[in-house]
Amino acid sequence: MGFDMSIFLTQIPNVILLGCTYTLIAIGFSLFFGVLDVVVFCSGDIAVFGAFGVLGSYAIISTTGLADLPTGIMLVALMIIAAVLCAFLGVLTYYVSIKPFEKSSTLMPLLSTIALGIVLREGIGIFYPTGRNPQSFPELIPSGTFFSTDLFNLTYKNLFVFVVTVVMVLLLLLFLNKTRMGSSMRAVSQNKELAMMSGVNIRRTIVFTFILGGILLSIAGTLIGVHYGTMRVDWGSTFGIKGYSAAVVGGLRSTNGAIIGGMLFALIEVIVTCTNYAVFATPAAFVVVILFILLKPEGIIGEKSIEKV
Amino acid sequence: MKKRLLLLAMCLVLSMGLMAGCGDDSSSSSSTSGDSTVSSSTDSSSDIPEGTVVKVGFIAPITGSNAAEGTAAANAFQMVFDELNAAGTLGYEVEVVVMDDASTAESAASAAQYLTADSDVIAISGHWNSGCAEATIPICIKAEIPLMIWGAIGDTLTSEANYPYVTRVAPTSAQENEPTVANVYELGYRNFYIVSDTTSYGTQNTATFTAEVANYSDATILGTDEVVIGTIDFSAIVAKIAASGADAVYFGGVSTEAGLLKKQMVAAGLDDVVLFGISGIASSDFVTAAGVDAAEGTISNMPGVDPTTTTLGQEFIAAYAAAGFSEPIGAFTPYAYDSAVMLIAALESIDGVPTAELMIDAIANAEGEGLLGTTTFDEIGQTTNPASYMVVCENGEWVAYSESSYAN
Repeated sequence: MGFDMSIFLTQIPNVILLGCTYTLIAIGFSLFFGVLDVVVFCSGDIAVFGAFGVLGSYAIISTTGLADLPTGIMLVALMIIAAVLCAFLGVLTYYVSIKPFEKSSTLMPLLSTIALGIVLREGIGIFYPTGRNPQSFPELIPSGTFFSTDLFNLTYKNLFVFVVTVVMVLLLLLFLNKTRMGSSMRAVSQNKELAMMSGVNIRRTIVFTFILGGILLSIAGTLIGVHYGTMRVDWGSTFGIKGYSAAVVGGLRSTNGAIIGGMLFALIEVIVTCTNYAVFATPAAFVVVILFILLKPEGIIGEKSIEKV
Repeated sequence: MKKRLLLLAMCLVLSMGLMAGCGDDSSSSSSTSGDSTVSSSTDSSSDIPEGTVVKVGFIAPITGSNAAEGTAAANAFQMVFDELNAAGTLGYEVEVVVMDDASTAESAASAAQYLTADSDVIAISGHWNSGCAEATIPICIKAEIPLMIWGAIGDTLTSEANYPYVTRVAPTSAQENEPTVANVYELGYRNFYIVSDTTSYGTQNTATFTAEVANYSDATILGTDEVVIGTIDFSAIVAKIAASGADAVYFGGVSTEAGLLKKQMVAAGLDDVVLFGISGIASSDFVTAAGVDAAEGTISNMPGVDPTTTTLGQEFIAAYAAAGFSEPIGAFTPYAYDSAVMLIAALESIDGVPTAELMIDAIANAEGEGLLGTTTFDEIGQTTNPASYMVVCENGEWVAYSESSYAN
């Protein structure tokens, strides 16, 4: 195999950072699947839409007198703008491509969200200036290193991606467990009928989930842009499928599962890349997904569901 | 339970299909215009009914990851024919039909099907991607319409079997890799690491580069990695490059991935390891993906002649700028231009209204004077003009190495 352990050790931060980007998208899938039993396939494209929201807002702000804002404030402002845009897009996704098919087979919203993803991708490609070409992501995080060892250097960008992911996940867990709306979301996820009978406003809960999912995905898109310093419109499908696979591996309804799935997916990719067969990195990760679907379809942290016949 | 299993499996299959290449469709038409610098002299208007229009197809990646290169090529191709039509020397009008191959074989095949179904189309100039050319060559041969490749360099695209239907103004992979290895060797680099993509372009580059390096006894290849096109994270590969001790990395793919690799090399502290490649990486997309700072010092082979050093080239650059196109001139833009020049040379050699049948021989025997000098085709339709020069990325621009501050 030619696996080089010393090279792999240098890649541990990379596994975590790559895992962070997959995790947030996987959580988006989990949230949507939890309340609706529907795979929202345009989640990766919503994330990229968020990143283009940052790019577009930055381009507009740069032409105004606000261009000299401190980079920290600028970054927070851009992330808020992108989050608002993606929250709207999340709600739009629900009303356009899921709600009309509530009574149909679950395949219908699956296809309609794939279609919406293509519309988003092509829309950005057509309407964003040179939208199909790679876009340089604004350098809003200092480029220096804050921690060095013999094995690896950690940059401020690495720190930003990691800290933001951890904070977002903690806030989400806090929200799900400590707030009324969070309880409603969990209730709808576990048993929609029972939740309805207990007085949970299902529609409001679903719409809120899409707002929350949109915000999380926008942050995922922004982190991908910050991490790679570049963004391209077709990355939505790449990150979307990897995020979805991570969610499946972890257990589609579980936030913790999404984190484990995201990290595992990244780990497999990096381990295989460290061998002499780097070309098999992504296929190997997907083979693991297929094995999970076959052998443990409920995922690592999923509960076995028993359907009444 | 079973239903859910089935659903999950279906989702996976669907999504893999999506990853494999969804999105870009293949139809697009262009009406861009500009000034050209080519003059035509032959008047062959005898027996030509008034208002006669013939069509030539031009297939390029107008959308997708190589859109910058493809669109600039289409602009240049259109400019030459706009000039020709304005002069009116042929006695008929030549309409350019621009089609998009989006760098995917299926879109390329669909574009070729569209063009070959049109009886007014007498010749096609096509492709920046070898995989796209491989898809359209059988379609053009079956339809008996000549295909002149302007930008794809896979060695086997021009061959005895494909001649005389397929000709090419661009160099082959071997014609590009030979001077590339010679140039970096002369700069003192000896320890190479290869990273290529898994397309036919990438694998061909790995093979030809490896074979070329074997000609230098003190040069070694310390490692070879292949990545799927669309790879975003190169960190683990960068770590392998660092561990190998290579002083130069050859990238046998195209611009976006090359840019991401270079950016991640610099981020990992490999500032002193040079990235180099052949013309596939030398576009503005590379600089965007890498960022101006990380792109600095990247070396590429550039086929043809530096247009800034010739009168015709300078006139073309001025005319292109005057036309106000948003896409900068790319590595293969001069080839698209010369492809138009060669088609016009063939059209001029035909008395009366040209047909696809007449164009096949006319193209094979054509001789044109374009941006790259004099082009003719050899016995398999390959250009006899494999000129090239070395460029370096300096302050975000690809400039001739000899003109750069690196030359000192």
